[in-house]
Amino acid sequence: MVSPALLFVALVTLFPIGYSIWMSLNHIQSSTNGFQFSFAGLSNYKIVFNSPLFHQALIFTIVYAVVTVLVELVLGLLVALAINQPIKGRGFAIAIMLIPWTLITVISAQMWGYIYNGVYGVLDYLMQSLHLINSPIVWLGTPNLATISIMIADVWKTTPFVTMILLAGLQLIPSDLYEAAKIDGAGAFRSFFSVTLPLLRPSLALAALFRILQAFGLFDLPFVLTGGGPGTSTMSIAMLAYKAIFNDFEYGPGTAVAVITVLIILIMSLISIKAFRAQVGEVEE
Amino acid sequence: MKKSLLVSMSVLSASAMTMTIMTGSAFASAKHSSAVTTIDWAASPISNVGIRKALIQLFEKTHPNIHVRLTSQPTNTDTNRASLATEISGGSATPDVFMGDVVWPGQFASAGLALPLNHYFPKSYFNSFAPGLVQGATYKGKVYGAPFFMDAGFLYYRKDLLAKAHLPVPKTWEQLANDSKVLLKKHLVRYGFVWEGASYEGLTCNWMEYLTDAGGQVFNAAGKPVMNSPAAVKALTFMRSLIASGVSPKSVTTFQEPQAMNVFNAGDAAFLRNWDYAWSNSQTKGTSVVGKVGVVPMPTFAGKKGPGYGNIGGWNLYINPHSKNIQADVTFIKWMTSVQAQTVLASKYSEIPTNNQVQHDPKIKKLNPVLAIVGSEHLVPRPAQSPNYPKVSSAIYQNVNAALSGQVSVQTALNNANSQLASASSSSSL
Repeated sequence: MVSPALLFVALVTLFPIGYSIWMSLNHIQSSTNGFQFSFAGLSNYKIVFNSPLFHQALIFTIVYAVVTVLVELVLGLLVALAINQPIKGRGFAIAIMLIPWTLITVISAQMWGYIYNGVYGVLDYLMQSLHLINSPIVWLGTPNLATISIMIADVWKTTPFVTMILLAGLQLIPSDLYEAAKIDGAGAFRSFFSVTLPLLRPSLALAALFRILQAFGLFDLPFVLTGGGPGTSTMSIAMLAYKAIFNDFEYGPGTAVAVITVLIILIMSLISIKAFRAQVGEVEE
Repeated sequence: MKKSLLVSMSVLSASAMTMTIMTGSAFASAKHSSAVTTIDWAASPISNVGIRKALIQLFEKTHPNIHVRLTSQPTNTDTNRASLATEISGGSATPDVFMGDVVWPGQFASAGLALPLNHYFPKSYFNSFAPGLVQGATYKGKVYGAPFFMDAGFLYYRKDLLAKAHLPVPKTWEQLANDSKVLLKKHLVRYGFVWEGASYEGLTCNWMEYLTDAGGQVFNAAGKPVMNSPAAVKALTFMRSLIASGVSPKSVTTFQEPQAMNVFNAGDAAFLRNWDYAWSNSQTKGTSVVGKVGVVPMPTFAGKKGPGYGNIGGWNLYINPHSKNIQADVTFIKWMTSVQAQTVLASKYSEIPTNNQVQHDPKIKKLNPVLAIVGSEHLVPRPAQSPNYPKVSSAIYQNVNAALSGQVSVQTALNNANSQLASASSSSSL
């Protein structure tokens, strides 16, 4: 009974992955007679690892992933703690909060593009009206500012997602634990660090895992906001793979970038899962 | 994203193959049942949305045996290319004819995505086009695309502002910068000059104009990259000075066509570098500049013989090498580039015709100021005669943009561009 289902899964997921790995090991030339493969060993990987553009894209993507995931976890936790209180209009607040998350990224990116616009941007207008700046800042015009601007757009969009996962985690914590802590004389801080945080760690790990997976696949925000610019400073590895395959027809090196990306994500995920298990064990002790 | 990239690569090519099988058999049966041949034309929307269908209708009226089915392609040129390349490299017999950018011949020819046309069209056919266009569609001695409509960079200016400040229309870049400074000093306008400076293909187009005006080239006659020449230094230094002196806004390094157009249409810039469509776009109701705009060929550097160079843009018609209806494809393309179709394109939709006779028709020239000056502009193509043109272009625009946004010096940017151009020409690189 299981084998046809497994076979189906294998066809749908394993075949494309296997085929991509095979592509990354070949020199591929498109011709009138279809794709011409000639085995090239690891030469595509050599091209990728020697490419300054790949180094730059890799560093940008890692910095982006680390910063956004950390900020989103902290902010998401704060918001989750706030709305975990039995306050009036909580349902409404949750619904409002989910709007950024439900917006399609290319559309919200376009919206941020208008906010950051260096001539008519809302952000510059606000800051000038408040006399915080004298002349407009070109938010997407220098590498550091552009990187930060993209990060802000990401944090705005995905913090609600982290909040939701953490809120679910918070609601799983039995309230008698807090009562017990109170009886033992623990204050708000003590009960947060001794009860909430340890019991929330599986949810935190889960949120982190999902976010890391997504952050390494970063594509739509810089694609819409900067096109990878200024220069190449906001080009992510996914954009690099896309550019190589679909613009430059460099199928071999392009798929090599894609395979490397998958490997990096796999390693990151394994680390996250391991951390998750260790934490569950810690709680049981 | 990472997974969808992998999956889409193989799944799309697989689905394209299935499509070939399906359409192949569909055509076989269609041929038996009736004498009408159906061809599939893939084209992205042309600035005026009705153009494609109107042309098809006119064509079908005179050619009852050929039915043309329009497949609307993405408006983004890169996405359009990706979708066509995926279909055709997978062996699909459709589209039969596709509309593609003028910079595609080298890449599409070497990847087997376009049919060489010489065998199917008489030599005289290629003489009917305006000079330089067929050469631009040629790769290794064979013509791969029939020029369909063309485009070029023009200088748009505010007649009212120049009149107020008693300034002449600039013929040189230096004059344009000075005019702008005068207008800014008198607080007549917010910015002097807006253009396309973001890190994308459009910056390569802008760059070619300054570079050629300064007497420089991207590749020399022997095919060696020479983008670190003194002329290139002069061109890039000037572009940077436009931003540093406040003639162009700092944010011009993030501008593509729509952003530059918006600033000009809002009345916030005295000069605009843009394509043919900017004329009608600036004169539509709702802009602040209706009736105040003039257009001239691009300026050049002081001491050079004017006018300056405008970069060539536009679109060609290509044939899919797997097409099962090449005779019908040829008939369709011949008609689309004929005097009749080209006159409709120019007179009804103000596209610049590629047909030489139509382009020089005094009646057409009278229609709008852009069509009037096309013939007098100097044109320069992008260095697209390479199978690796996308990499050539990104080596140009990424480094020029880095210099414009102040990340690196002019000399460093040009040296980097030059070494990237050298590796871009090799077969495999990132």
